[in-house]
Amino acid sequence: MSKILLVEDDEIMPKIVARILPSAEYELDHVSNGKEAFEKLEATNYGYDLIITDIMMPYANGFEILSRVKSQPRPIPVIIVSNAGNEDMIMEGFKLGADDFLKKPIIPAELLIRVKRLLMKNK
Amino acid sequence: MFDIPIPAFLDPALSTFREAPLAIRLAMIFIIVAVLVTLLAYLSILRSRFLGHQRRKRLDYLLPKIDNLIIDEIMANPEVAAGTPASQIQLNLDGFQELPLHKKWARQATTDRIIHFRRNVRGNAGHLLRNLYIQLELSKDTMRQMKSPKWARKVRALTEFIDMDIPVADVTILPLTNSRNRELRAAARHAYIKLSKNEPFKFFDVVTDPLLMWDQVELFRIITTTEDISIPNFARWVTYSSNKSVVSFCLKLIVHYNQLPAVPAVTQLLDTKDHYLRADAINCLGKLKVPDVEDRLVSMYSSQPLQCQIEILKAIGRISSGRQIDFLKQEFLHSTNFDLRKAAAKSLVRNNQLAGNVIQELLETANRENLLILKHCMNPLIKY
Amino acid sequence: MEGILSWLGRAYENTLFVYGLVLLLVYALLALLSMLAIRHYTRKSTHHQLDILASSPMAPGLTILAPAFNEGLTIISNVRSLLTLNYPRYEIIIINDGSTDNTMEQLISEFRMVAVDFAYNPRILTQPVRKIYKSTDPAYSSLMVIDKVNGKSKADAVNAGINIATFKYFVCTDVDCILHKDTLLELALPVMQEEKRKVIAVGATLRIANSSDFDEGVLIRMRPPRQLLPRFQEVEYIRSFVLGKMGWSYINCVPNVSGGLGLFDKEVATRCGGYDHSSFGEDMELLTRMCRYAHDNQIDYAVKYIPKTLCWTEGPASVKIFSRQRTRWARGLAQLMYAHFSMFLNPRYGKMGLIVFPFNFFFELLAPLVEFSGVIIYIYLAVTGQVNWPYASLLLLFVYTYAVMITTIAILWDQLSFGYYKKWWEVAYLCLTPFMEFLLYHPLIVFFSLRGYYYFLTGKKSTWGNMQRQGFGKKKK
Repeated sequence: MSKILLVEDDEIMPKIVARILPSAEYELDHVSNGKEAFEKLEATNYGYDLIITDIMMPYANGFEILSRVKSQPRPIPVIIVSNAGNEDMIMEGFKLGADDFLKKPIIPAELLIRVKRLLMKNK
Repeated sequence: MFDIPIPAFLDPALSTFREAPLAIRLAMIFIIVAVLVTLLAYLSILRSRFLGHQRRKRLDYLLPKIDNLIIDEIMANPEVAAGTPASQIQLNLDGFQELPLHKKWARQATTDRIIHFRRNVRGNAGHLLRNLYIQLELSKDTMRQMKSPKWARKVRALTEFIDMDIPVADVTILPLTNSRNRELRAAARHAYIKLSKNEPFKFFDVVTDPLLMWDQVELFRIITTTEDISIPNFARWVTYSSNKSVVSFCLKLIVHYNQLPAVPAVTQLLDTKDHYLRADAINCLGKLKVPDVEDRLVSMYSSQPLQCQIEILKAIGRISSGRQIDFLKQEFLHSTNFDLRKAAAKSLVRNNQLAGNVIQELLETANRENLLILKHCMNPLIKY
Repeated sequence: MEGILSWLGRAYENTLFVYGLVLLLVYALLALLSMLAIRHYTRKSTHHQLDILASSPMAPGLTILAPAFNEGLTIISNVRSLLTLNYPRYEIIIINDGSTDNTMEQLISEFRMVAVDFAYNPRILTQPVRKIYKSTDPAYSSLMVIDKVNGKSKADAVNAGINIATFKYFVCTDVDCILHKDTLLELALPVMQEEKRKVIAVGATLRIANSSDFDEGVLIRMRPPRQLLPRFQEVEYIRSFVLGKMGWSYINCVPNVSGGLGLFDKEVATRCGGYDHSSFGEDMELLTRMCRYAHDNQIDYAVKYIPKTLCWTEGPASVKIFSRQRTRWARGLAQLMYAHFSMFLNPRYGKMGLIVFPFNFFFELLAPLVEFSGVIIYIYLAVTGQVNWPYASLLLLFVYTYAVMITTIAILWDQLSFGYYKKWWEVAYLCLTPFMEFLLYHPLIVFFSLRGYYYFLTGKKSTWGNMQRQGFGKKKK
């Protein structure tokens, strides 16, 4: 069972991701902004196996989440899922240690593969 | 006057009115008008709030249902996961029949939701969403909107067709591409590129009015996200188009698709009389990292206006062949313009691997201001 | 003697009549034009467009400039909210204008800032810049802080920011203003969608933040201010932005882009010399100078406005601070009219000289004087028993109902297009406010304006600058 945190302010995306990642194998927590994400992370003592995050969100953007997560003693792998088309922004994400980037709209099967791959790598 | 019985209590008001000078009469009339308009405004506010409230209530009830149906039928469809092509998947529409789809607002809400889903997923699931839209006959409303005399409706309909990737006959779209209304004209062009099965880029040949920055954003999105569009060599319009905005837009597309075969056409554009276009061409060559044009750029440098000079310096930095380090150093040390010195320093830093010695030397010898510029450009914390 | 006096009285009466009539007509016209402008906006702009722009690599870069003077209480949450705006390509420049509190220290520690060797090339002269800071955390790479010597004015601080801005357009705001998350997208669209003209400035509707709910710089729920004075201001802002500015923008005659939030073309603003630090109304003064520059250089320009509320600012809640703000505004207006009087009815300046300037002169600058003189004469006539009471009260009633109508129409446009506030009774509450405005709020404004003019004429030295900014929207915690 892998614990995944999804940070996303769109209302539909979490429902989609919940279906893409079967609940038998993944425990998915959803928060809709940066503030809630930090609260969740603090409360669980960064106890997630993977974080899927958007970039542009209220309170704290995806970059801040990345920066905070990657400065932990045990960095959690992060996939950015965003509609950002600006290359600078994507590069910024990778500079901050993002492990993968998927551009919206996503192909469901692709998200599943990338999630699996990252979880395998970090086992 | 009409024979309406006038209540007695109005008599004093009426007699005042009759005896009053013009200004007072006008004032009296306008007091009544103002009171009526104010009351009418209150009613409109109440009405619009009530309608808004109802709409929200209906949607709060309906949207979760639509979401669940779509998720169950499409996202969780085992055949999608198995990779069966969307065209061969039989959708079960029973659940959707229970939605109040005989109501127009419910159909619109469903359409909007499907579009929202399609903005989040593509691939097979995206195709299946499109099939759902067609099978629920939601496109019929959109077709009707296309016939509306109101331009805003037509634009909406066209945008919906673009989003859902529904083919529309050229004869329907083409007349609209010459509409007098700018928004409609633009929407029709976008639809033509996205949906026409013939030559989608044909309108680049004929368009005479400038493509606005916004048009370029929309076109760029459509061109780069349409899956089965065949990308032409954009050099064609760089060479032949007399519309500057089309040329400048094609330069951006050339960079995006890294179309190296277009380099000769872009190089030819360096002779254009228009500075803005020339600057765009230099920018494009730099981003394509064409080392062969460096000499040409350097030789034309001194006769250029400031913005082209800056672009030349930047381009040399992007190309980073290492052959123009002396030129950059020269500009950095001797140019009188701050922006030019900064651009030269930046390009030197980008050439770092080959210009290491030169930079070191400059760090030791440069005057105070130049040293600051150099340090500025070398600092990884400073982006621009 | 008698004859001359009565002739003068007649002339005064007639002038006043024409003056009033024109003013009423202009407002009726503005109501109509603003409706057209707002309708055009709501038809054209969809949420979809904002999404497209947010995801586009071709969005033009924007620089946000936010001056801060002793904003220690709220600086962190406000910078955080600027960092989370929806826009693909922007930088944030906070100008610490020589704060004497811990504003700078807080910024440095919260965002892990360090001083960098920055090649600063001032094109506009300002008080010296001490240091420029960037964050060592790449998550804040878009943030930059300028630490400068206090210039005693917002203008001087923003000018330092303009000098350092990277992009072609800058968005000027106040650190204590709270912005809607789509602000940059909304402000960029009119620039990108303009067909023929060069857009030199874009503004949007401002509102009073006082009773709305905010959480760490994010708007949670809009409410009309509970206190009377801020509520008057809310109503006044709706009228002045949704009806006034939108109406003017329909005919490209916008007189002012508010200092709380506005997008400007950097090149034009720089060439005009930036904000004037000696001005008491630096925002309007800059726009006037930019328009003037555009005319002088044959640039076919446009100033655009958006009816949507994108910025919330704390309105003064005490009469004392309010009086300071309005006196200052009036003084700024008088200064501006005096400095640019050569544009008055000057056909060389097109609509600016023939419409905007005369309107501001007659109906903004002179209005308080006209009203004041009217009241004096009224009292004189009343005392000498020359007032025809029924007629006089009818006229007064007419002006009153008309004023209420215009304000209600502004609230109506606002409601029809955006449906702000959650509950209908909150709107009703707002609708009742204009009934008291005429009697309570308006006299205050007239009085403070006259005081502003008096200060302008006597050249009273004032230590505004910082004081004023402190009053104008200091957060209470």
